[in-house]
Amino acid sequence: MFSRFNSFPTHMDYKGQKLAEQIFQGVILVSAVIGFIYGLIIEQFGWTVYIMLAGFTISCLLTLPPWPMYRRNPLTWQPIVPEMPETREKSQENLKKKKHK
Amino acid sequence: MNTVLSRANSLFAFSLSVMAALTFGCFITTAFRDRSVPVNIHVSRVFLKNVDDFTGPRERSDLGFVTFDLSADLRPIFDWNVKQLFLYLSAEYATKSNVLNQVVLWDKIVQRGQNTRLELKEMKTKYYFFDDGNGLRANRNVTLTLSWNVVPNAGILPLVMGSGHISVPFPESYESTKSY
Repeated sequence: MFSRFNSFPTHMDYKGQKLAEQIFQGVILVSAVIGFIYGLIIEQFGWTVYIMLAGFTISCLLTLPPWPMYRRNPLTWQPIVPEMPETREKSQENLKKKKHK
Repeated sequence: MNTVLSRANSLFAFSLSVMAALTFGCFITTAFRDRSVPVNIHVSRVFLKNVDDFTGPRERSDLGFVTFDLSADLRPIFDWNVKQLFLYLSAEYATKSNVLNQVVLWDKIVQRGQNTRLELKEMKTKYYFFDDGNGLRANRNVTLTLSWNVVPNAGILPLVMGSGHISVPFPESYESTKSY
């Protein structure tokens, strides 16, 4: 059952994670500042909380799903080295020799 | 930050921290504000009865009856850190047995959004004004004060005394109680 959910890709690459964190912190901080000033002017702290919650929702929408903009810099892995049984044995022999010395 | 759950976790934690900071800001912007307003109390009628105090030692005690008018504009108190006010009218007087007697005669809750202009006429006291003896008769100096508790969103719970109190002389004689 969970295998279907696991088949959705949810990861972000490293630069994407940094971007996501900066985006949600920025959105929440800006909404908090706007809410604080607005609440101070109309003297209703409830509106501060509402604006803050709106910022929370927006940042949830922006950063929780792994949008394509967070996976623009995929890691470049080394190409797969074809594994030969002979070379493997040789390298192990080399290691053994080194240890003996 | 790699999975949806870890992102949700850090987002939620950050929002809570920011919310705590906002609440502290709300407290600090109002912490040093003066929550006292002028209050106008006028006493229209005072009389005394000498009745059995069933809660006490079953002796005849003084029971005062006060009818008062009250006017105050509470609008300046309601800033963004005030949820409601608990107003109470208290009487203070000195007797031979006690230097300080305080009795709460009446109270009222004013919530945010309710009418903040108090114009009360001919109000009767809510609670019995019982003295624990006969200290009310011919007491020249019974002081009525309106005070209030400010119930805030965040921070301390200040107790404010309204400026403007009134001193009431109590009568020398008791109102005759009808006995049936």
